[in-house]
Amino acid sequence: MDYLQKLINQTRIRLFLVILVDNIILIGGFWVGNKILSFNAIELVGFLGAIALVETTLIATQMGKYLTQPVKALWQAIMHLSPESNGISAPEVKDLHIGRELVANLTSQIYQLISVADKVNTETNLKVKELSNNFIAQNLPLPLFVLDTGETVKFANQAAAEYIGIAAHELIGKNIYMILDMSFQSEDTFDNWLKNVKSTSATASKSWERVKLAVRDNHPTLLFDLAAYYNRDNPEKNETMLILFDHTKQYSQDDQAISFLALSVHELRAPLTLLRGYIEVFEEELEGKVDDELHGFMEKMHAQAEQLTAFVNNILNVARIDDDQLELKLEEADWEKILHTAIASLNIRAKVRGITLSVKCAPNLPTVGVDRLSVQEVLNNLVDNAVKYSGESKEVIIDAHLTQDGIVETTIQDHGLGIPTSIIPNLFSKFYRDHHNRAQIGGTGLGLYLSKAIVTAHGGNLWVRSHEGEGSTFGFTLLPYAQLSEDAKKNGSDNLTRSAHGWIKNHSLYRR
Amino acid sequence: MENTTTNNGSSRSVLCIEDEHFISELYTRALTKNGYTVTVISDGAEALKESETNKYDIILLDLMVPNITGIEILRTLRDPARVPPIKAKIIIITNLEQNESVRADIEKQADGYLVKAELTPHELADFVDTIK
Repeated sequence: MDYLQKLINQTRIRLFLVILVDNIILIGGFWVGNKILSFNAIELVGFLGAIALVETTLIATQMGKYLTQPVKALWQAIMHLSPESNGISAPEVKDLHIGRELVANLTSQIYQLISVADKVNTETNLKVKELSNNFIAQNLPLPLFVLDTGETVKFANQAAAEYIGIAAHELIGKNIYMILDMSFQSEDTFDNWLKNVKSTSATASKSWERVKLAVRDNHPTLLFDLAAYYNRDNPEKNETMLILFDHTKQYSQDDQAISFLALSVHELRAPLTLLRGYIEVFEEELEGKVDDELHGFMEKMHAQAEQLTAFVNNILNVARIDDDQLELKLEEADWEKILHTAIASLNIRAKVRGITLSVKCAPNLPTVGVDRLSVQEVLNNLVDNAVKYSGESKEVIIDAHLTQDGIVETTIQDHGLGIPTSIIPNLFSKFYRDHHNRAQIGGTGLGLYLSKAIVTAHGGNLWVRSHEGEGSTFGFTLLPYAQLSEDAKKNGSDNLTRSAHGWIKNHSLYRR
Repeated sequence: MENTTTNNGSSRSVLCIEDEHFISELYTRALTKNGYTVTVISDGAEALKESETNKYDIILLDLMVPNITGIEILRTLRDPARVPPIKAKIIIITNLEQNESVRADIEKQADGYLVKAELTPHELADFVDTIK
């Protein structure tokens, strides 16, 4: 066979190179296995053995053409792992994202090689097919899925089958979204990413943290980090590889911490109830009988008690959202009225910090479809933040108006400290990432996370525009009630109940 | 009956079922100011018996009271087989977090559901004013 002879000739020339890079591959494999995947000794030996096996297969089946890419990926891994080129420093935690992506990239490249090897084997009867086929199935302990151009599962390894509790042969040929009902912490889901890269890139990689997977039949929910590698130009049309890094134990411990939090804040409510009650009694009884200074202290006490109540509610609602338990009932409401009610109580909090809240509301706004208490909470959070970060500036401007699209938009603008550009992309999903670092996030991590979930559940958008040192503008949109009820009718229901999620379902088909 | 605070004349009567004395004291004060006659009972079983006399216009019901839970009291008072039915409007007052389905269930049977920490005694009294 002409073409086979050609491959053999090419490989002879490249064999020398292969031996040269052999050591590099093993060192890289060691690093990847040891540091990124955190394999134990036995797994590490298995992994390195697997790499060696692939190399043997590679030489035996003359895959010179496809050799350079995985070697390049390994090189990247090595360069990445030793940025100072000393070759011994361990990767820092913040680099894990890139590490996971490289693992996906590398595994994908190896998988491509095996696929081509299989083809050659079939044509040449070299009988090494079984070996190559079993490499990822048996030796890679990470759950792995290979998808074709239509997101159908072409391959799932043993670890994947065990992880999600479905036999491997049952996974093949199914659409990935049918098998993996994944939820993400932001709109940047796997589904959205893939759609985007398909239209823009030939290759791409990405990783996500803390992906949630609801598994059928009373299986506990799985929580993992996900890495994906996309490669449009490969001969076998194995476009996308997904690798799952399980963290169920670690992440669900965090979740339990949240439930515990929910219970604890419940205990906070009893003394808060009393505190607010007594403050009210003082205010009633001492009105006009105390001097300005004492009166000022009382107002501050009142404001702080209300602030604490709001904070307790935030914490509880975040816990509810993460339990998928925050349900919103949208009702027709006059936005101007809600705005003024909310601002009246927020004024107390602003006043004690010497800040004026100026409210502008366009006339004749259409009625909106809202869950009153929840949108008030959004206003509380955004205005509280604006007040908190106002710095030397003494005014916060709240402006409600109609957009060109006929949607009610409310902006909350301060001229205070502003937000560093580097933080903005993480602003609304910051809670989890910094959740062990409460000191850094202060109160804001919760409020914005919550507000975003609430506004999104209303069918609106929450956005921010900010320049460090010049202040910030937060804005959110709400749909007119007429539009909401019309949309509901179109969908054949009059149900205006919405759930607020901290997790975004992966695929639009599955979005509630 | 532990404590009855009466305003003059034909004011509406409130039975406040609440075992935290400090809270019932504050609520009594605010409700009396708004013209209600307030009776406070802290024990669940005793409160149920008192409710069944059917002489109250409003019942403020805490969900966590000793001996019989507020939910049981609510269920007993709102039993559709009861003749005659309890005329009082029942307002749940709680600091307890319920999951949505439990809460929806309670709300179906009650005439109001308030989280104590979220309103001052005065605001509670104003809310009771709106319940007719």
